[in-house]
Amino acid sequence: MQFLPLSFFRWWEASWISSVVNTAQWYFAIIETIHIMAFTILLGTIFIVNLRVLGFGLRRQSSAQVARYLKPYTWGSLLLVAITGGVLFASEAVKLGRSEPFLWKIDILGLAVLIHIVINRKLTSNVATEGSLRIKIAACISLLCWFSVALAGRAIAFL
Amino acid sequence: MASIANFCEWLNNTAFSVYLRQSDWPFPIIETIHILGLAVSVGIVFWIDLRLMGIIMRREPISDVVGQLEPLAVRGFMIMFLSGILLFVSEPQYCYSATAFRVKLLLVALAGLNVWFFHSRVYRYVTQWDESPSLPVRARMVGFLSLVLWFGVIATGRWTAYK
Repeated sequence: MQFLPLSFFRWWEASWISSVVNTAQWYFAIIETIHIMAFTILLGTIFIVNLRVLGFGLRRQSSAQVARYLKPYTWGSLLLVAITGGVLFASEAVKLGRSEPFLWKIDILGLAVLIHIVINRKLTSNVATEGSLRIKIAACISLLCWFSVALAGRAIAFL
Repeated sequence: MASIANFCEWLNNTAFSVYLRQSDWPFPIIETIHILGLAVSVGIVFWIDLRLMGIIMRREPISDVVGQLEPLAVRGFMIMFLSGILLFVSEPQYCYSATAFRVKLLLVALAGLNVWFFHSRVYRYVTQWDESPSLPVRARMVGFLSLVLWFGVIATGRWTAYK
């Protein structure tokens, strides 16, 4: 996200979304709570799929089956995370544009989503991926990415 | 209540509490572990709840979903619980005074009771309805309550941090 010009962050902060979230402290708190709840669901679904790929959890179902079950919930919660995140972002976009952890968070998030799409595609389209070393490595990288997103998210408040 | 207040005051003044509160790194690190533990355990519990409510994985037996996912959720809970205790030790007096934190503890206790009720009164008889498409009202209720209680825990947990 480093490539985005300052004008982008200014534009977002000046938008009507920003005025909504800045009207009352309550709004921010409520939207942040929804953001965290949606992120919890998102991480839960990611975790269940990746653990299954690594051979833990729902072992009596195939990885492909688990991936299929969880897919709508992963994307649904990601959408909610993105919307609430966008609103939270609007309240202090310019400041966040200068925050290293925030920029990292968005970059890693993009990467994590991409990796998850690839894992999902491979699992559901090709039976041979079931239990292969490649997909296991991908699952480990995916978990690391998502944990980094959470870590960087928390770091925004501290750095 | 006075004795709890005294205990929190005493704990607040211990060297360990002061260390956790005043040094730069321990608090953010412990808090991140706490949140990851939360995401793992509640994220998985959420999935069990949806199965109990009959919303997802309907073709998979309940015992399959609960039996395979619960051990993972319990591990996540242990990480969350231990890191949570450390977070409390870092600011016991503040936590004691925060209404959100008191409500949170109450909700965690209720969620625990819900789990106990589930295992002793509902899951014990799982073989009777494991494969049936319609689930007993009790199972649905436990799932729904768990969902509401844990979301409440997340909300009050976040609000504890707003000073």
